[in-house]
Amino acid sequence: MKITQDIKDSTIIMTLDGELDASSSVILDEELSDPEIMKYSKILVDCRNLNYISSAGLGVFISHLQRFEDAQIKLIFFNMQDKVRNVFEILGLDLLMTIVTNYEEAITIADE
Amino acid sequence: MLYKTNVKSLLVTAAIVSWVLLLGNVLLMAESVRQPGAIKLALPYINNLLIIVFILSVFFFQRLSANNLKGIDFSSYLWNLFSKAAIAAYLSIALYFAYKMSTGYARLQSPLLLHIVYQVNFGLLVYFLAKAFYIWRQLLLYHKNKFLQVAWEWFEVLLFCTLILTLLNFNYTNYIFLPLFGLFVCYILFLCTNLKWVAYLSFNKKSRSLVLLGAVLVSCYIFTKFFQEFADSPELVIDYSDVGFLLLAMLFVGTYTLAAFLVSLFSLPTSSVFEQKSEDLLNFQRLSQSIQQGQSEAQVYDLLFESTIKASDATAAWFEMVRGNNTHISHLLNINNEQIERIRHLLMAYNIQHIDYINNNLDRNSGFRDLALPWKSLIILPIKSKKHVFGTLYLLRDIELGFDRETVNVLRTFTSQTILTIENLRLVAESLQNERYKEELKIATQVQESLIPKTFPTDSWFEIATHAVAAKEVGGDFYDFLQLSESRIAIIIGDVSGKGISAAFHMAQMKGIFHGLMQQDMPPSEFMKQANSALSRCLEKTSFITSSLYIIDYRMQGFMFARAGHCHTLYYNAMMEDVFYFQTDGLGLGIVRDKSYNNHVREMYYDYNPGDVMVIYTDGIVEARNAANDEYGEDRLKYMLTQTYHLEAEDIKCAIINDLEDFTGPDNLYDDQTLLVIKFKPVQPKA
Repeated sequence: MKITQDIKDSTIIMTLDGELDASSSVILDEELSDPEIMKYSKILVDCRNLNYISSAGLGVFISHLQRFEDAQIKLIFFNMQDKVRNVFEILGLDLLMTIVTNYEEAITIADE
Repeated sequence: MLYKTNVKSLLVTAAIVSWVLLLGNVLLMAESVRQPGAIKLALPYINNLLIIVFILSVFFFQRLSANNLKGIDFSSYLWNLFSKAAIAAYLSIALYFAYKMSTGYARLQSPLLLHIVYQVNFGLLVYFLAKAFYIWRQLLLYHKNKFLQVAWEWFEVLLFCTLILTLLNFNYTNYIFLPLFGLFVCYILFLCTNLKWVAYLSFNKKSRSLVLLGAVLVSCYIFTKFFQEFADSPELVIDYSDVGFLLLAMLFVGTYTLAAFLVSLFSLPTSSVFEQKSEDLLNFQRLSQSIQQGQSEAQVYDLLFESTIKASDATAAWFEMVRGNNTHISHLLNINNEQIERIRHLLMAYNIQHIDYINNNLDRNSGFRDLALPWKSLIILPIKSKKHVFGTLYLLRDIELGFDRETVNVLRTFTSQTILTIENLRLVAESLQNERYKEELKIATQVQESLIPKTFPTDSWFEIATHAVAAKEVGGDFYDFLQLSESRIAIIIGDVSGKGISAAFHMAQMKGIFHGLMQQDMPPSEFMKQANSALSRCLEKTSFITSSLYIIDYRMQGFMFARAGHCHTLYYNAMMEDVFYFQTDGLGLGIVRDKSYNNHVREMYYDYNPGDVMVIYTDGIVEARNAANDEYGEDRLKYMLTQTYHLEAEDIKCAIINDLEDFTGPDNLYDDQTLLVIKFKPVQPKA
């Protein structure tokens, strides 16, 4: 699992590369728990190279969901593979989280 | 052994007979000398033969009697040498003086009596030499090598060869033999350099040995003097100083005794060093073996404390044990708590409490000088590994430069061995603890297994087959049922996020919630709402539970269900001959922890036909992977059902599980897997 951050003004683009399993979700949790991240108003998560997400990985996003909502930070997933999207959908997360097809769409929604 | 005893008794007999014959012959010869007229009964040449027989039998007897060295108790060998051999000399001198006194008192000449005394002394001499010779052999060959062994064997052979000279009546003082004699002496001197055993004597034993060796030396002197006195004596018909063998044997015994005496004497001052080293070595051994002997940490520290004090000759010492954040003084020697407190305050001021520190001149340091301690040298030895600090050892001496490099090296070896031992002891304890945890986990596995129903109510309405395996000892998958009324049954399946103990606890909790809530018989969606509310209060933030609840009503021939983020239900409709997944919305439990969850759960009612098949499972089935990292997937599961729906529930389950195992390969279980196959039966119960 590799997590890279790309900062553009008030937007942070987080690229997930690899498999988000029990061990790598700890790293993700650390990144999302960083107080620095609260400075940004938009968090875009690029899931192009995210091949697998375990329940632990989902748990990390779920646990931060409320916090971001309260701080009015938009969390947007884009470029998600069907397989991974299916996992989000089965759990019902697609109704809670914003999942869009590509970067442009993500930017548009984020800027609304 | 019998053979050896026989030979021994034979040798004793030979020695006694030859000695008695020799005595008889000598007396006869003396008689014939005194009375020239008498018949010459004595046989002159037979003497040499008898001498040789006597010497050989005594020597061989001692050779056989010599015991192997047992241990390193050399002083007992020396005592043996003195009490059994050297005493002979004192007997002989006593005998001689008794003779002198009796003849001097009675003022009579008795050549016969003189001969008897001379003859007895000869016997004692040979006995002394034989005994001493073989005791020295044992000690000389201590820690022998091949070369020394061969050298000794040749020495023995050569020595016995000199008996031939006696047999042939050669005079060994002849100039032809002198160079040979010289060479032989050199050989003896060479052998006498093998005195390794002396090093193993402690100071006390060395002092005792010196007395014994001195006594043996005196014995040698007595015998030599006695036979020198009577050499070429006109009063005697026989002269044993002519026997070269005896001279050489005496030379060897005397030289070796002298050498041992001198070496013991001169090594006396250094013996304490050797003693110290061997004690250090012994203590190292004890330290390193303390694990096998099942000793506790406290005993190891005791050993360390004693050993280091002995090794460094410290006058005062203390040891601080570290337990968590506390230190307490566990060992004390010649120092009081008040002094320790003062030293510790000073060390704290210098910030050197837990580091290696040597001060060999405390008076030069103003801080220590102010404390006015009776000690001049201090060494601090922390007992710590990379991870832990176990304690600190402080040693003090009342002299300057008390801890030289050599001592410090020994002390450091002690401390590092202690660290190793303590760490190993802890590892052993830890592995025992782990063993206990494993046992506990086994119990947890059993408890969890008992939470999952093994048998469903056998009913004519439907048949059900189940499969459940956990990836670890305990898992987060579960299923259960509850008969709500005569015609209604509730079936639940669930999956707690994560694996292991925490998942197992939540799974047990979910089972409790299921049984608690369903007693009130509520619709599935209502159950999910209440379960979410209950779980919101106890699930940790990153955990959630997915679940599906089905309430089957036989009388109505239908079922009601709600899905909370759980895998879609696979269904075969016998009427339409169609296999499909129920696509319903529903959010997992514990994801949204307020009332808004109520908007995220849907309920569905479905009428079933006889022959319909419902497949309920957890994500461990569809997300199972093969070696190429491909997922089993919903499509393959669906395909399996289209191939098997006509079978009995049990057979459908087996077909799916076999296919899954074919796909993943053996021993490739990463997530808990649960599968339930429910087949509605065509047979209707009698009303």
